[in-house]
Amino acid sequence: MSLLYDEGQQAIASESRRVADARADKARLLALLEQTGDYDTAFWDMAREQGWTALALPEAFGGLDLGLVELGIVAQAGGAATAGAPFLTANYGAAQALLGSDDESLRQRWLPLLASGEAIAAMAFAEGQSPLPDRPTTRLTASGLTGEKPGVTGAAHAQIAVIWALAEGEPALVVAELRDEQRSVIDGYDNSRGYADLNFAAAPASLILKGDAALRLARDVLARMAVVTAHEQTGGAEALMFIARDYAVTRKAFGQPIGAFQSVKHRIAELYALVEIARANCIHAASREGQPDFLKAAAAARLSATEAYDTAARDCVQVHGGIGVTWETGLHLHMRRARSLAIEQGNAMWWEDLLVSQLTGVAA
Amino acid sequence: MTDLNAYRQNARTWLASVADQFGREARRGLAVEDDLALGRRYMAARFEAGYAGINWPVEMGGQGLGHLEKVGFDSEEMTFGMPSGYFGISLGMPVPILIRFGEDKAWVKERVLAALKGEEIWCQLFSEPAGGSDLAGLRTKAVPDGNGWSLTGQKLWTSWAQYCDYGVIVARTDPTVAKHKGLTYFWVDMKAPGVEVRPIKLAGGDSHVNEVFFDDVKLTDAQRMSPVGGGFAVAMATLMIERYVATDSGGFGPHLDLFIDMAREIEVGGKAALEDGRVRSAIARNYAMRSGLEAITQRAMLMMEAGMVPGPEGSLNKLVAVRSRQRLSELALDLQGNTGLAFDAHAFAKEDWASSWLNAPTGRIAGGADEMLLNTIAEKILGLPQDHRPDKSVPFNQIPA
Repeated sequence: MSLLYDEGQQAIASESRRVADARADKARLLALLEQTGDYDTAFWDMAREQGWTALALPEAFGGLDLGLVELGIVAQAGGAATAGAPFLTANYGAAQALLGSDDESLRQRWLPLLASGEAIAAMAFAEGQSPLPDRPTTRLTASGLTGEKPGVTGAAHAQIAVIWALAEGEPALVVAELRDEQRSVIDGYDNSRGYADLNFAAAPASLILKGDAALRLARDVLARMAVVTAHEQTGGAEALMFIARDYAVTRKAFGQPIGAFQSVKHRIAELYALVEIARANCIHAASREGQPDFLKAAAAARLSATEAYDTAARDCVQVHGGIGVTWETGLHLHMRRARSLAIEQGNAMWWEDLLVSQLTGVAA
Repeated sequence: MTDLNAYRQNARTWLASVADQFGREARRGLAVEDDLALGRRYMAARFEAGYAGINWPVEMGGQGLGHLEKVGFDSEEMTFGMPSGYFGISLGMPVPILIRFGEDKAWVKERVLAALKGEEIWCQLFSEPAGGSDLAGLRTKAVPDGNGWSLTGQKLWTSWAQYCDYGVIVARTDPTVAKHKGLTYFWVDMKAPGVEVRPIKLAGGDSHVNEVFFDDVKLTDAQRMSPVGGGFAVAMATLMIERYVATDSGGFGPHLDLFIDMAREIEVGGKAALEDGRVRSAIARNYAMRSGLEAITQRAMLMMEAGMVPGPEGSLNKLVAVRSRQRLSELALDLQGNTGLAFDAHAFAKEDWASSWLNAPTGRIAGGADEMLLNTIAEKILGLPQDHRPDKSVPFNQIPA
């Protein structure tokens, strides 16, 4: 896969950007922040209409047979608009996990629903503060799945979850249909992400894969989702860079646009550097899908995109001064999203450790 | 395999065949004069092998190939540590400008061939005590003198001037107009009467830059390479020759692999440094930064291969990589602690942490200070306003000193 977008990919980029911007509605997103258990249904409906849910899934299951590059492009457009629904990433992750299963009936059952967006999936890997614990405490036994998964993205709305668990002493990926009594919705700082704690008590669940192969698959799936999220973060960071630029050329103080002061213009130029490095890493990582160095490329994308989005959120508000901290201006939509995305798919420390283990063979 | 890959592979094969003679190991411990002499022999061999002037016209002694072949060769050459640095500026800026603006083509060709073979070296005399980043603020003056000019003034930070045969120079020919309108571009014979070169010893101990003094140095009008008052545009053309050059995401310091190898042998608080979260974080951040820069470069090369113009993000390499080199070098010295205090002034910055650290600041200043690069990004790419410039449109001789 090339580092250059071809014509089709460029068309997806401009069209997804156009659609996401046209349907963006700051008032709707601001309202969602104060509502627990709601998500941006308008965005999700649009994503389904546009076929974004089907993009990176095989044709045999109702997908469009494209890949991480195209999904990343769409995620970037979504990130720029702080688009509300997290399921684009999670549905892709769940589909990738199910594609790793030998159980054809599981794939037949769920993949078409994920491709159409009819089903919403959640990815429940983390336990405690660990994004992918070596030995999860959630257990799959003959009597079902038992355990707790904190802060699962989209779990407030999902019909199914892919869960990282232990089956007969071995790490395993498991899929379960969710029931309402299993979820406790979290009232958080980025409510449209649909965070919920999941609690399974001898719940019916099916094994996707176990053993070392399950660990490899879980890492690969998490890395794929991280690359999608990195695109989303890069889209958000770039949007903030332009918002800061636009404000700096119009707002005047001391008789000139504030963007003429180096303290302001250099701050924005530094954002350009962070955004372009993140973008290049994202494109590179998406192009390495399925290759031996994919984990390293994904980690690089993830780390640079998190740094870019967090820094852009911080500095864009700073460039705005007082008006930047108001509810109505809405920069806090990006601030909140920068943080939630930094934690979903594993925080920076986890990715640093994974990357260094890959580079040096030495574990943390 | 693409033609370009084949070209690079052939280049690598040739470089490997002469590495024993000219490469990093052959150069280790050589005094600078001996290293330069080796460099001249290397340049002659490179010329014979057909790797000189790769993207220059055949009629000027070049190979008539493209920019990509040139960058490909340079990238391969860099890994062998060949002694080509003395000729980098000469062949990078002054000589291409000579090809473009030199009037006497026969004389120009003679100079170009001598430069390609390492027999002659050209320097670029731009910066001055009063004008580095602010190039147009320079004060060296050229005044009409008979049919020619008389040059008087001082240049600063001129790389390799002590070994140079010729230089290109920007001088003020009219102080009564706005500062960048009164400049004219000449070439100058560095061995002419009235030229004095004084090497400047830098923090790391080497002396590759110089002060150059001109005292009533006579220039013929044939040495003028721009219209009178049109020198600034030629100077800008010099600086814009090749935006995508062979880059190094390590900021011309040691590669991350060397850091990891060093860290393997080191303990922090009684456990392996590579298990320390701070060290791991630094490695991961450095890797992510380099991987991004390398992807930017790779993407630019692909675009050029496809006949497209690469994006302006290529300008980030210098800004980002050298700062990271500084931090990584500091950390490397920190990790070595009391066992890493020794310093070898002749060590290569690409493989020695102390040398990399001590020489790194030059990389953030020479060829455009970080702050100037940030201004360029802000103004040219993002459309932010120019700085307030009190000397704008003011005749040079009325600008308050």
